[in-house]
Amino acid sequence: MKKVEFEKIKRPESIKLPYMLDFYPLEDEKNTRTSQFFKNLKEGRLTTTKCKKCSKVLWPPRIVCPNCLSEGLEWIDLGVEGELYAFTEMKLGAPLGFCQDVPFCVGIVKIGGLLISARIDNATYDSLKIGDKVGLKVVELEDGRVFYRFKPTR
Amino acid sequence: MRKVAIVGGGGTSCGKREANFRELVQEAGKAMFENVKNISPKDVEALIVGAAQPERFVFQAHVAPMVAEYLGITPRKVLARTELMCASGQAAIRYAWACVASGMADVAVAFGVEKMFMPDMAEAQTNMTCVLDREFDGVNALSAPPFFAMTAQRHMYEFGTTKEQMALVSVKNHHYSTMNPLAQFQKETSVEEVLKSPVIAPPFNLFDCSGITDGAAGVVLVPAEMAKKYTDTPMYIVGSGQASIGNVIGNLADLTDWIPLKMAAEETFRTAKISLKDVDIAELHDCFTISEIMEYEAFGWCNKGKGGKFIENGEPYVGGTIAANPRGGLLGCGHPLGATAILQALDILQQFRGEVPKGRHVKDAEVAITHNLSGPANVHSILAYKRS
Repeated sequence: MKKVEFEKIKRPESIKLPYMLDFYPLEDEKNTRTSQFFKNLKEGRLTTTKCKKCSKVLWPPRIVCPNCLSEGLEWIDLGVEGELYAFTEMKLGAPLGFCQDVPFCVGIVKIGGLLISARIDNATYDSLKIGDKVGLKVVELEDGRVFYRFKPTR
Repeated sequence: MRKVAIVGGGGTSCGKREANFRELVQEAGKAMFENVKNISPKDVEALIVGAAQPERFVFQAHVAPMVAEYLGITPRKVLARTELMCASGQAAIRYAWACVASGMADVAVAFGVEKMFMPDMAEAQTNMTCVLDREFDGVNALSAPPFFAMTAQRHMYEFGTTKEQMALVSVKNHHYSTMNPLAQFQKETSVEEVLKSPVIAPPFNLFDCSGITDGAAGVVLVPAEMAKKYTDTPMYIVGSGQASIGNVIGNLADLTDWIPLKMAAEETFRTAKISLKDVDIAELHDCFTISEIMEYEAFGWCNKGKGGKFIENGEPYVGGTIAANPRGGLLGCGHPLGATAILQALDILQQFRGEVPKGRHVKDAEVAITHNLSGPANVHSILAYKRS
């Protein structure tokens, strides 16, 4: 009988959060042509693109208008206060990277004529009702990237 | 276009299986081939594999040739995988059907598989957040349960639908799934039990949600004129419809009115030359209790906003206005994404053949539809089947 070798091997004990599990978009101009959206957000402005040719407001921000194929798009402000259209509270089954926040609220906010999904901070399911006013909030990641959330304004 | 028949099929038992992706494939393949006479894997010219997220769940891409390998199939006409999330399996049937109808292939297999249980279930939940627009919706931790919870909240707000009415959908489908040996859930439940199950995302409790499920299934499609070679009891694909509007949450047609479903239903009935009242069995996509309620409405078995009352009045049962989900639905059978639509088709075949237990058998059924929604219910896919 030939001798068979047994060996224990090691894998890295931890790995950096991979891009495949990073929910937040890459937002600088090296990675996206709509980085202006995030620059505006850093100034406290929630914006999107509007087609200069056919006047269609486009969410999320685009580089080509799907309505008329124009590339002539401009940035418009959606405002900083919206109204709660629907909401829930994540109690169980949150994805990795969000488990530490449980429970937390998510909602659909009516703002600037659009419906946008977003986290609703400083709230519980029982503290909210449909139609509540919510204000824009900007969160910043440790690497400087930003994202929008809302919180009750009353 | 040639008329196409499904001549047999088979599936695995579903649930938290002590089996990996490729073992599920083998189990379902064996069951499928053993259900069809005069067939060998080498006869299969086209193989379409519905699988929603094998890259995420089992870290495996290019799964269609892997399925072919394990099933002993050497496709020489068409081979591909279909991904349409929860409707991936229906997409597989549709393309296999198109292959046979067009004359591209004479023997096609529509297969579906999903291995969803992972060592860390948070990872499975994570996978589901890239179903919605990841950069603008998924980023807010929106996977299916919170999205459909908000749909339910709006339905309750606009139409007065109650949690008890939603729970009745779960009770009904768990009842039927106790009579389905392939089903994940083999126990009856009650309204009280649904309402007491853990809160996932209000207004949803655990039993308002379909399960995380391992499972696989396949069906064999051939031209109708060749069907009798393979079985005495084929069923026929007679029509279909599919529609999609928007994708990011803000661009959906309407949260509580599934307009793409209405469009897909209209197209199904037009192509199948049937009307709603001809339908004897409806396998509906009850990924959540609210989904089935909204499907009663969108198909037109009841008026908008009256779906809750419809089940309260006992109408969507075997022997009622429509036999809705006598298989046990996704709520009772589980929802192995890529396999779900194949399992629905398989159950319709067994219904037509009279192979299902009496308590969930729709006697003398001639016409059936299967429905799947996917994503934030922006996509609706429907197939119509006939016994003769």
